[in-house]
Amino acid sequence: MGRFLLRRSFSALLTLLAVSVLTFLMFFVLPRDPVTGMCPKNCNPERLERVRQELGLSDPKVEQYLGYIKGIFVGRDLGSAQGGYCDAPCLGYSYVNNEPVSATITRVLPVTISIVVPAAILWLSLGIGLGMVSAVHRGTWLDRAAIGFALTGASLQLYFVGGVLLLAFTYHWGIAPVPHYTPFLDNPVDWAGGLVLAWVALALLFSAIYARLSRAQMLETLSEDFIRTARAKGVPRSQVYGRHALRAAITPLVTIAGLDIGAALGGTVITEITFGLQGLGRTAVDAVRSGDLPTIMATVLVAAFFIVTANLVVDLLYAAIDPRVRLK
Amino acid sequence: MNATRGPERQLEEATLSSGPSENRGGTTVAGRSPAQLTWLRLRRDRTAVISGVTLVVLLVIALAAPLIEWMYGIGPQDQFQHALDRYGMPVGPGGGVSGEHWFGLEPGLGRDIFIRMTAGMRTSLLIAFAAATITSALGVVAGTLAGYVGGWLDSVIGWFIDVALALPFLIFALAVVPTVSLRFYGPREAVPAGFQVAVIIGIFAVFGWAGTARLVRGQVVSLREREFVDAARVSGAGLGHILFRELLPNLWAPILVSFSLALPAYITAEAALSFLGIGVLEPIPDLGRMIERSLGYLQTDPAYVFFPGITIFVVVFAFNLFGDALRDALDPRSTR
Amino acid sequence: MRPRTTLAAVGALLLITSSSGCSQDSQSSSATGTNVMTIPTQTGVIAANPGDSQGPAAEVPDATNGGTITIIRESKISHLDPPRVYSFAALMNAPLYSRFLTTWKDDGKGDLTLVGDLATTPGTNVNGDCRVWEYTIKDGLEFEDGQPITSKEIAYGIARSFDPDLTSGPTYLQEWLSGTPQYDTAWDFKANKTSLPPGLTTPDAKTLRFQFADPHCDLPFAASLPTSAPVPADKDTGVDYDTKPVSSGPYKITENTPGVQLVLERNANWDPATDPVRHQYPDKFVWTFGPDPDAAASRVIADNGPDQSAVAWNGVPASLVAKVAADPALQERTLLSPTPSANRLTINTQRVTDLSVRQALNYAIDRDGLVKALGGETVASPTTTLMPPGTLGYRQYDAYPAGPNGNIDKAKELLAGRTPELVLGAADDSSGQEVATQLKANLEKAGFTITVKSIPADSKLDETKKKDNPWDLYVDSWAADWPSGAAILPVLFDGRTIRADGNSNSSFVNSDAVNAEFDRILALDPDQQTSEWAAVDEQIMTELAPAVPLYVDVADNIHGSKAGGLFISGIFGSPAFVNAYVKQ
Repeated sequence: MGRFLLRRSFSALLTLLAVSVLTFLMFFVLPRDPVTGMCPKNCNPERLERVRQELGLSDPKVEQYLGYIKGIFVGRDLGSAQGGYCDAPCLGYSYVNNEPVSATITRVLPVTISIVVPAAILWLSLGIGLGMVSAVHRGTWLDRAAIGFALTGASLQLYFVGGVLLLAFTYHWGIAPVPHYTPFLDNPVDWAGGLVLAWVALALLFSAIYARLSRAQMLETLSEDFIRTARAKGVPRSQVYGRHALRAAITPLVTIAGLDIGAALGGTVITEITFGLQGLGRTAVDAVRSGDLPTIMATVLVAAFFIVTANLVVDLLYAAIDPRVRLK
Repeated sequence: MNATRGPERQLEEATLSSGPSENRGGTTVAGRSPAQLTWLRLRRDRTAVISGVTLVVLLVIALAAPLIEWMYGIGPQDQFQHALDRYGMPVGPGGGVSGEHWFGLEPGLGRDIFIRMTAGMRTSLLIAFAAATITSALGVVAGTLAGYVGGWLDSVIGWFIDVALALPFLIFALAVVPTVSLRFYGPREAVPAGFQVAVIIGIFAVFGWAGTARLVRGQVVSLREREFVDAARVSGAGLGHILFRELLPNLWAPILVSFSLALPAYITAEAALSFLGIGVLEPIPDLGRMIERSLGYLQTDPAYVFFPGITIFVVVFAFNLFGDALRDALDPRSTR
Repeated sequence: MRPRTTLAAVGALLLITSSSGCSQDSQSSSATGTNVMTIPTQTGVIAANPGDSQGPAAEVPDATNGGTITIIRESKISHLDPPRVYSFAALMNAPLYSRFLTTWKDDGKGDLTLVGDLATTPGTNVNGDCRVWEYTIKDGLEFEDGQPITSKEIAYGIARSFDPDLTSGPTYLQEWLSGTPQYDTAWDFKANKTSLPPGLTTPDAKTLRFQFADPHCDLPFAASLPTSAPVPADKDTGVDYDTKPVSSGPYKITENTPGVQLVLERNANWDPATDPVRHQYPDKFVWTFGPDPDAAASRVIADNGPDQSAVAWNGVPASLVAKVAADPALQERTLLSPTPSANRLTINTQRVTDLSVRQALNYAIDRDGLVKALGGETVASPTTTLMPPGTLGYRQYDAYPAGPNGNIDKAKELLAGRTPELVLGAADDSSGQEVATQLKANLEKAGFTITVKSIPADSKLDETKKKDNPWDLYVDSWAADWPSGAAILPVLFDGRTIRADGNSNSSFVNSDAVNAEFDRILALDPDQQTSEWAAVDEQIMTELAPAVPLYVDVADNIHGSKAGGLFISGIFGSPAFVNAYVKQ
């Protein structure tokens, strides 16, 4: 098991490295020269060239990349225009936001986490709940209604749902506050109020997958022999469904949920844009649009980190449950 | 999943009604392949029929778009700004709905919404089908190789899958899509619609194959330990034979389901790209871009939001329903 | 003594008369009898009366103390550090926490007066040749911590603007003092922190002196930009100063969370008796960042809770205009005003060399249709001149009368059967795309074949400023830093400034006759210049037709029911906060 963990961790690290290289390369596909953004109207090409030199943008690409990676592990000196020495993990300095990138990340990451985690809890509960109801009452109108509801949600477009929710609950009826982020520790009620519409929109859309999955899993499990045995033995129905069926059905659900949450943490771009929340996804999009390489690198690496970690955890779970996996 | 039961079940049904007709007490029982059985089950399912018919109708409309345009008499680029008021809003109820403009006019540019939606649906469906097909094909190949051959090939392909899944799709799309055309077309040349569509399909392909590959790999891994594969191997079957005659036939069910669920996902994804402004550009009609622009007009011209919004919902919903029904039909145990 | 110096000797200052052809209102050219838009003409004066430069500022009728004004904006303010302030939001925010050598007194209805802010007058032209300027600093000026503001602090503020690390701001004072665009190599701030750049001297604590090699009669205008804000040398933290500059204005920065919010609260050490323009009615100003224009406008329209004293900075988007215009209650809370941002379809004259083709473009243009595509008259106002209405000395003319929807016949006549193929470079964002679609359909009616080439929105400006850019047509926008023709026409149309990139003259015209006119006019007294600029505007259009004037941006901002005293700045076309108050 230990060797398996080691192997997978090494693979994960390689993946992150590959992601960083690809991101770096992608940046050079962008036509935008970030330095010219500093010069709105009366631009002076000679001065820009000097600024470019100081920021190290004229150095060969490989050198720039290595410098960035070195900064993450050890820290590096960025020059006076970028706030001097930058301690490890140094994610660089954004000349677009005028702040160290690590400060940007520390600020926007909690927003994304606050959007995704409660939404995930909501969509999992809703999805699994609907799926179980459908499976138990298979074939009845309840089954059809539950799955119908889930499918409707899955067929809606997030920005559409978000727009309508905002219009109805915030602007028209004034029930929900305007979406905004307050740190949980500052004011939990305000934190929840500012994010509730985003949670609802995400839950409506994503519960369907889990509804279908859990329904299918439950149905399969319910027709297994051991369930028939339990029922024959007279075990009460709630226990049959709750303890036996659900437990067997839950494992694949949890693993897929893990992957989904990892991916969601990596990028909730549309949600954040629709609800006007400054999270990781929105920051990444703004960074791409303004050619802000250090911020792009940092947001992509953080996002990839979540996905890779989630994959690792899921793999470990699989390996823990199914010994055959470990042997490969 | 049901792969553990699939072949056995098929074996069961085959023995019940095998090969040429067999007289049993006067009735002829014809042999049926799994595909025929699936089709029968689909036909009996009302939801599948309704959603299937809807999809066929939409497909026909999309394919016949030029014909519809000829009959309707208005093209997607024709402007009717004289029918807009001084704020650029369409005059008349429902956003300018009339006998001449069935779904009204766009605010600002004053173009006909119905014909633009028809053309836009065409683009969306084309991209979705192409992307789903390519990613399924790539995913199946990669997944099967990785799953069956195993060893170093599995590790390498597995690693590629990990990297592809770890890269944030939207961010990369945002960086790459607007600039690709600059590398192929000179600064004074127009970028044809075909190329823009190809770029979008391409970027879906680059990111989309990994999910299917992983799914297929998992299936293949569990299948290859099975007795019938061992039997084929022991009796000297080559790799090609095992892949195409033993493994693939048992995979087509999950592949088909994955394909049918990929379609609405790609329609949504393409609309998302347009929402971010990196889908097909003006003046090519596009559903996603139309919805994105219309959302701002939710309070002032709700019809403008309603028409494309409902349309894309119907398309995606129909695909989802059909995919679900298909899955039920393929799996005989989840009966209604 | 040269005759002109008599004026200077008296100490009264230059008077730019407002009378030359400026007194009538000009209607927007889509003459549909609308009452939405009458463009008030700017009448601008450099104050002659020293009393105009004295505080306190006139009380705003019905203003009450207290409350919080919230300003909702999508993206954060790029810079707070005065010499780096250049975006509209930063320029409208700066007067809250910063004072300058000179500033504009704006009545919100088009009447503008340049007055002394930290200085007692807008500036003394010592020898009458615009090369030597002198300012006397007022008494009783203090920073937020009680430290006095003297000419030394203002000079230090200007000196540190030479630091190349402090990017993004205007560079007029630096270039004029050093005599070269490479000002940071001419004088190194970091090596000379205790001395002052060449030409800038402080004979005593109350006097500041500029000495230029070349005449710069616009110095009073340039001194109104935040580069002239005072900075205490012992509190200068270089690049970090941008997060919390020391205040010299009625408010000080108390909280700055980038991308989230910026909070300004009362500065007790600001003395209203010294300030001719600013007030201190609200307790707090709070900038909230993040919501897009739709969201911001929607919540201000909804007018709930704290939004009642809020203003949506980004303006009412085209999609909501109809809703706001239809509701008289909302109309009352709307600030509607033209801005000095003029938009034109620039013609790359290096590629489109035939004057008749350029003239045909001017005849073919359908301005009404374009305005509709943009969202109507509350978003854009059509114009046929290169200088926006509101420039000092503005005079309306139409060199190529195209009517509201274009004169296709006349265009075709000029083309005489030709179908020129032109490439229009357009930004790939949604508004750039729509404008391009509109223009293409419009111009093709006259026989042009237009290819639309998409350019990534962020880099479009830089790309079109390159001399060898590959396009024939692109939409350009220009807002002058002060409302004088001198800040518009020579910048945009003097061919001698053309270089490899960074060109504001993106038409790349170079006409000796016109260049000579520029030189001649710039050498005149500022009071004589104003009418001359209007004449040269028409001359450029008639002789060169380097662009098709399209429209002027219209500011349409909505605020909550309890926000008062807000108006659109006549200089920058954005909401100004110096008179703001919260209705109790």
